[in-house]
Amino acid sequence: MDEDVLTTLKILIIGESGVGKSSLLLRFTDDTFDPELAATIGVDFKVKTISVDGNKAKLAIWDTAGQERFRTLTPSYYRGAQGVILVYDVTRRDTFVKLDNWLNELETYCTRNDIVNMLVGNKIDKENREVDRKEGLKFARKHSMLFIEASAKTCDGVQCAFEELVEKIIQTPGLWESENQNKGVKLSHREEGHGGACGACYSEPSRRRIKGFD
Amino acid sequence: MAADSEPESEVFEITDFTTASEWERFISKVEEVLNDWKLIGNTLGKPLEKGVFTSGTWEEKSDEISFADFKFSITHHYLVQEPTDKEGKDEVLEDVIPQSMQDLLCMNNDFPPRAHCLVRWYGLREFVVIAPAANSDAVLSESKCNLLMSSVSIALGNTGCQVPLFVQIHQKWRRTYVGECQGPGVRTDFEMVHLRKVPNQYTHLSGLLDIFKSKIGCPLTPLPPVSIAIRFTYVLQDWQQYFWPQQPPDIDALVGGEVGGLEFGKLPFGACEDPISELHLATTWPHLTEGIIVDNDVYSDLDPMQAPHWSVRVRKADNPQCLLGDFITEFFKICRRKESTDEILGRSAFEEEGREIADISHALSKLTEPAPVPIHKLSVSNMVHTAKKKIQKHRGAEESPLNNDVLNTILLFLFPDAASEKPLDGTSSTDNNPPSESEEYNLYNQFKSAPSDSLTYKLALCLCMINFYHGGLKGVAHLWQEFVLEMRFRWENNILIPGLASGPPDLRCCLLHQKLQMLNCCIERKKARDEGRKTSTSDNVTNTYPGDAGKAGEQPDVGKSWDSWSDSEEEFFECLSDTEELKANGQESGRKGGLKEMANLKPEGRLYQHGKLTLLQNGEPLYIPVTQEPAPMTEDLLEEQSEVLAKLGTSAEGAHLRARMQSACLLSDMESFKAANPGCFLEDFVRWYSPRDYIEEEVVDEKGNMVLKGELSARMKIPSNMWVEAWETAKPVPARRQRRLFDDTREAEKVLHYLAVQKPADLARHLLPCVIHAAVLKVKEEESLEIISSVKKIIKQIISHSSKVLHFPNPEDKKLEEIIHQIINVEATIARARSLKAKFGTEKCEQEEEKEDLERFVSGLLEQPEVLVVGAGRGHAGRIIHKLFVSAQRLTESSDEAAAMAPPEEELKRMGPPEERRQNSVSDFPPPAGREVLLRTTVPRPAPYSRALPQRMYSVLTKEDFRLAGAFSSDTSFF
Ligand SMILES: Nc1nc2c(ncn2[C@@H]2O[C@H](COP(=O)(O)OP(=O)(O)O)[C@@H](O)[C@H]2O)c(=O)[nH]1
Ligand SMILES: [Mg+2]
Repeated sequence: MDEDVLTTLKILIIGESGVGKSSLLLRFTDDTFDPELAATIGVDFKVKTISVDGNKAKLAIWDTAGQERFRTLTPSYYRGAQGVILVYDVTRRDTFVKLDNWLNELETYCTRNDIVNMLVGNKIDKENREVDRKEGLKFARKHSMLFIEASAKTCDGVQCAFEELVEKIIQTPGLWESENQNKGVKLSHREEGHGGACGACYSEPSRRRIKGFD
Repeated sequence: MAADSEPESEVFEITDFTTASEWERFISKVEEVLNDWKLIGNTLGKPLEKGVFTSGTWEEKSDEISFADFKFSITHHYLVQEPTDKEGKDEVLEDVIPQSMQDLLCMNNDFPPRAHCLVRWYGLREFVVIAPAANSDAVLSESKCNLLMSSVSIALGNTGCQVPLFVQIHQKWRRTYVGECQGPGVRTDFEMVHLRKVPNQYTHLSGLLDIFKSKIGCPLTPLPPVSIAIRFTYVLQDWQQYFWPQQPPDIDALVGGEVGGLEFGKLPFGACEDPISELHLATTWPHLTEGIIVDNDVYSDLDPMQAPHWSVRVRKADNPQCLLGDFITEFFKICRRKESTDEILGRSAFEEEGREIADISHALSKLTEPAPVPIHKLSVSNMVHTAKKKIQKHRGAEESPLNNDVLNTILLFLFPDAASEKPLDGTSSTDNNPPSESEEYNLYNQFKSAPSDSLTYKLALCLCMINFYHGGLKGVAHLWQEFVLEMRFRWENNILIPGLASGPPDLRCCLLHQKLQMLNCCIERKKARDEGRKTSTSDNVTNTYPGDAGKAGEQPDVGKSWDSWSDSEEEFFECLSDTEELKANGQESGRKGGLKEMANLKPEGRLYQHGKLTLLQNGEPLYIPVTQEPAPMTEDLLEEQSEVLAKLGTSAEGAHLRARMQSACLLSDMESFKAANPGCFLEDFVRWYSPRDYIEEEVVDEKGNMVLKGELSARMKIPSNMWVEAWETAKPVPARRQRRLFDDTREAEKVLHYLAVQKPADLARHLLPCVIHAAVLKVKEEESLEIISSVKKIIKQIISHSSKVLHFPNPEDKKLEEIIHQIINVEATIARARSLKAKFGTEKCEQEEEKEDLERFVSGLLEQPEVLVVGAGRGHAGRIIHKLFVSAQRLTESSDEAAAMAPPEEELKRMGPPEERRQNSVSDFPPPAGREVLLRTTVPRPAPYSRALPQRMYSVLTKEDFRLAGAFSSDTSFF
């Protein structure tokens, strides 16, 4: 493993099938969009090392299929995850409505309670939007999640989503350090009040850590 | 003074301790520190409030300085105070004597329960100490002491620092300090005498007064009155008549009958010895004036019963032996043992009957036997006997570690179904006691242990008890071996294991619990299969269920019967499970071939009819098929699987292979679907399985009507994508006849093997979370009887701490020890509370008000360093304390009489200060263990016309030593 990698983080992407989970992941890891991407079977896996505030983190990202039948298998992958990205399709309300089920599942199968959750509304490039941004924001706030809207196709918000999630995980020390404490790595100093990990991908000023709102 | 101006060469020479340059360097360093800490000038704080030395916060600041190459630490100790509100006082203060001198006379904080010794001796709120940096170092020679003292004097003079500055001399443990305080035209010298042998005149007040007066050397006659404060401390060690009520549990009673196995689920609690070792009663006369009281060679007015103030502190036994703590500690020790079960029991228990070889073939032959093995009524004791016989066979006449009674009791406790008439089936939750939604019940989630009513949890407690009371490690190994035999027995005879939640392994529990659940899953499936073959369920279940297609897996009963057969010989989908191929028997193999005309096939393996959908080809209703249930997984299997999947890497080929490996379930479902829906297309399957991949649009047809036109999503239409590929491969085979996705035989054998090879140490590590869990529940329960708020808080901390430590695989021993230690502390605290309550008889107290006072007093003893006794010797608590002393005295009195006559000289010495000898033979109190006397006055020194300044002398006399600490102030300008 690289010397300067602070930690390896396990991240899970969940949500209904077809909302663009695999496309988001592909955009993040390979910076491409493949309209011919096959429907995921079971779980898929990718790695990427990113640097947030000078701290390098290796991400092991597990992508899940989302179909009902495959779901019996995925709860196992919730185990030990430090971050979860829950995706819905802003052009399909039914994928938004199903979020509650996913959260239920998360609650049931997650082995730890300080895991960082992020809600991503995908496909904002499309015309026929059915779920308003405010609704997503409200849902995220209600469940103490990070929130961002994104498009795997146009790249909007994708980098940002992952970076923000990682930053939040790193700020939650109990979440990762106990596994890595022997390495004696010190986090680079971070100023309080510094907002998100990135400003470039998503410039809307109101976008900030939802958890801090209330 | 600037050290810099010294020639460089000097630094490198071996310097004499007394070299002027080193000396000056030292002084300037001290000055520098005093300046840095801003201790210059006089800043008067508020007068000291009563008790502020204890209630306030003390802080200290340290630095290091050296004299030549001798290192000193310099430390500023101070009581944190609010800054005084009046600014610009400085000029006015010119003539005011330093704060510390004033504090010498303050009477609000005499004898503080917890304070630096200099605070106790001199009543200072702030001071600086220079002491050798290394603990072993000491300033011993008089010349060095003098040198240091003159340095201090010069530094104070140069800087104008008014904080007293002390130097510690002699060995550290002697706590000998000399010091000085300077103010404008005034100076206080702090002197000290520390003796092992006590000159007779120091043992009473009148002698001390004489010394004080002669030290002051006051030129005035008559001398201004000396104010006196006295404290005598009495120690009570003998609690004998209040013998400690906690008895170690009687283990034979647990096994023998009436208490029954139930008690095996309980942990013991409490101290085996008195966790309160001593009671210290301090009787104080806070304000006496010379002449009012007589205390001399021949007579004393100082009767502790008459002292106006009483306060009490208790000394806690350092590490009282406590049952719960011992239990966990002993259990934890198993974790470090290296021996295997076989090594401990001195034989190879699991090989002796060639079991390992026989097992699989045995299981297989059973599968093919026409009549399934009938379920016997379990008899644990039968099993015990067989196991015992086996043991004895190999170890000759040697006793097995656990006797039959104990073993039977435990096994019946663990497997209550063995005693009941009907064997357990279906539901596996045996007990209905705990409210399963309660926070308490769900603690297992935090500890990653197991539910408190589970078999795993009970097993942990039993092993804990066995380890402690029944043969230690050997007993543990023996019980574990019996347990493993029982597991195998249940697997072979299709008897579910009780005390485990049904369903796939609960990943929130410890691995051992998951393994047992896994075994239960295997038993359940095997049992269903065997019973299914017995009753030969009809092939074509075509019930129509209303409801969501997605709930298919949750529909009851029908889905449970699948067979382990498959006519598919393809090796392709076996990537994840390299099952031994099970040959289909003749009856089934007839189905091979003739699969081409799908639509003509008889539908098979239907679960229920889909509410809305019909087949695209022929409009027939679409049926949800009976499908194979996904394989249950324990966390180690999952880990393995995800490792395998991750190892394939992130390349396109890797991803493809990964999908392939996981497509067994998809293929199986497709086959089931095809069997249930003859003539179906992939589109039909997708509409059920992944509805969002079937896109419907309203289009206008040739006739101008709006019609729904549907097609597969773009990604499903990609040529030869895995879904299409699998669809083409899939044959219409109902789940029942497919190859098992989950090979229960193999998995069960794996679990049984895993269990068999666990060493006692492994076992202890598996179960330690359960033991900690149980211990926390136990201290919680015990705390609730006593209600000690501090303990409540600590228990919360233990839980959150444990949940952090236990959630990671292989937690460090150090961290586990920490948790155990915390639990032990809690137990000791509760035991102390009980001990004190028993001693002070809070329960016996009938008057409500008195009882409340007493309880407050007792809890104060636990949480505060010292507690005031309201009403002193005449108060309620005071009377109890008096009685305690009286009865302890009687006891020593009588034992003294009984003892051989000691030489009278010895006797006299042993009895301490003369005054006790004077009192009549049976005194209520023993000689005081400590006599503290504080003398204070304000007199002009050194001349009659000098300023009148505070003088103070503190003395303490204990059995070991005697100390005089004097602070004598003098006028340095007018004498
Ligand atoms: N327009 C648009 N289409 C997207 C986007 N993300 C995914 N898709 C398409 O949505 C379909 C499902 O995407 P996929 O990543 O396979 O979803 P998954 O099942 O959640 O993994 C594919 O056809 C993608 O091309 C997006 O951001 N914008
Ligand atoms: Mg996907």
